[in-house]
Amino acid sequence: MAYTSREAFFAFRRSPLLTALSIATIAFALYTLSVFGLVWTNIDRVLEGVEERVEVIAYLVDGTDPTETSALMREVAAYPEVDSIAYLSKEDALERARAELTDYAELYEDLEANPLPASVEIALRDGFRDASDVGDVATRVARFPFVEEIKYGEDWVQKLDFLQDLSLFLGLVMGGVFAAIAFVAIGATINIVLISREDEIAIMKMVGATRAFIARPLVIEGFAKGVIGAVVALVLLTLTYSLLEQRVVSLTFYSPLQVAGGVLLGGALGAVASIVTLRRHLSSW
Amino acid sequence: MILFQGVHKEYPRTGAALTDVTFHLRKGEFTFVTGPSGAGKTTLVKLVTMEERPTSGTVRVSGYASDRIRTRDIPALRRRLGIVFQDFRLLKNRTARENVAFALEVTGASAEQISPKVLRTLAAVGLSDKADHLPSELSGGEQQRVAIARALVNDPFILLADEPTGNLDPKVALDILRVFKDINLRGMAVLLVTHDRTLLGEHPRARIIELDQGRIVRDTANGGGAAG
Repeated sequence: MAYTSREAFFAFRRSPLLTALSIATIAFALYTLSVFGLVWTNIDRVLEGVEERVEVIAYLVDGTDPTETSALMREVAAYPEVDSIAYLSKEDALERARAELTDYAELYEDLEANPLPASVEIALRDGFRDASDVGDVATRVARFPFVEEIKYGEDWVQKLDFLQDLSLFLGLVMGGVFAAIAFVAIGATINIVLISREDEIAIMKMVGATRAFIARPLVIEGFAKGVIGAVVALVLLTLTYSLLEQRVVSLTFYSPLQVAGGVLLGGALGAVASIVTLRRHLSSW
Repeated sequence: MILFQGVHKEYPRTGAALTDVTFHLRKGEFTFVTGPSGAGKTTLVKLVTMEERPTSGTVRVSGYASDRIRTRDIPALRRRLGIVFQDFRLLKNRTARENVAFALEVTGASAEQISPKVLRTLAAVGLSDKADHLPSELSGGEQQRVAIARALVNDPFILLADEPTGNLDPKVALDILRVFKDINLRGMAVLLVTHDRTLLGEHPRARIIELDQGRIVRDTANGGGAAG
């Protein structure tokens, strides 16, 4: 083990330029991937925020019997899609309208009769807020005879659905492309390192080194470079983030767990790229 | 110890390199393998180290047979062979001592075991005073001695040398041959591949296997005569 760790870190001193080049490549690849990830998670978060506001509102016929209303609420609350349900009386509706629509306050003053209907507001659980689930709940609630009208913003729920699908698709495709580029870039730099050490590897084979003995320090070296590259990428990303935050738009940064995961991912990419590249160099004996 | 039985080796691009080669190297024997370039000498060395496998026939080296050996057994076989090349193949950024130690590190030996053994082996090839020199600070002959020390340090049963004097001037070449003869006197077998016929005359009691166009044209162990 002493040999392995000594060898792995000896490489950094032995060829500092090549080492710096591989770290820079890894850092740049991971930086591109992380900037894309940051933009994507922020778009996704905005969409999620919008999605949380999706609800179904059932307006009730005037004079609906409160026992019928409670029966509806009990039944609808038991739907698997439903998160919570709230009753808004005619009076509460008027109150809310007065509070929210201050510009039209005069409209609601001196009313002889309250024109607003009582309603039931149905919030949906996470995972049941797409167009088909929302439409399904709306259809079932509309079957109650004393429900006069149902509203759930059909148009924009469908648009939101589309945006979320698009965002997921782009996230997977672009994320995959960036990760593949990072992987190929790391593999290419490790290949250069291995070519520069072909003589050494040949000598190792000649004196009876096992495959594991040859590979171990190189895989550790790949891992270390990946981790260092990820840390450099993180520094660059933090700078980019604070610049954007100050000048352009408020964004949410990665969580500490995601940052730690990203650094480990850098190491894993370095190690796996080393293994894949090594297989070619160690195929003959 | 080393047995070639009806060995035929053909490369896809260049064709036959060895044809019907059969010989048996015994324990402690000093053998020259000679012949013009392209005769198949280097292929013969690669078959012993199992870097190549025969197209037909069998090579047996110290209990390992070419038709049965698994890739993962090859490191163990190589540790039983001491291999020396024309171009020395030393690690340029390591001292003589570190180059020799390298062959032991590969086997997983501990630092306490490595150090004294390396110094003893460097002394055996007459390089005690150059232990901390880099290859670039050593002459060609000294670099080849380091390579020989590296080949010896694992106590192999045979020393395999492919044109070990090819890059050296005649006087230094004779010095190196003397090192091989000394090693052989201590009981270790030596297989020395060379195209340099003057070396053969320096060791009249050695066995000579002569190759030409991939075939054995003379083997003094089979009554081929030393003078041929």
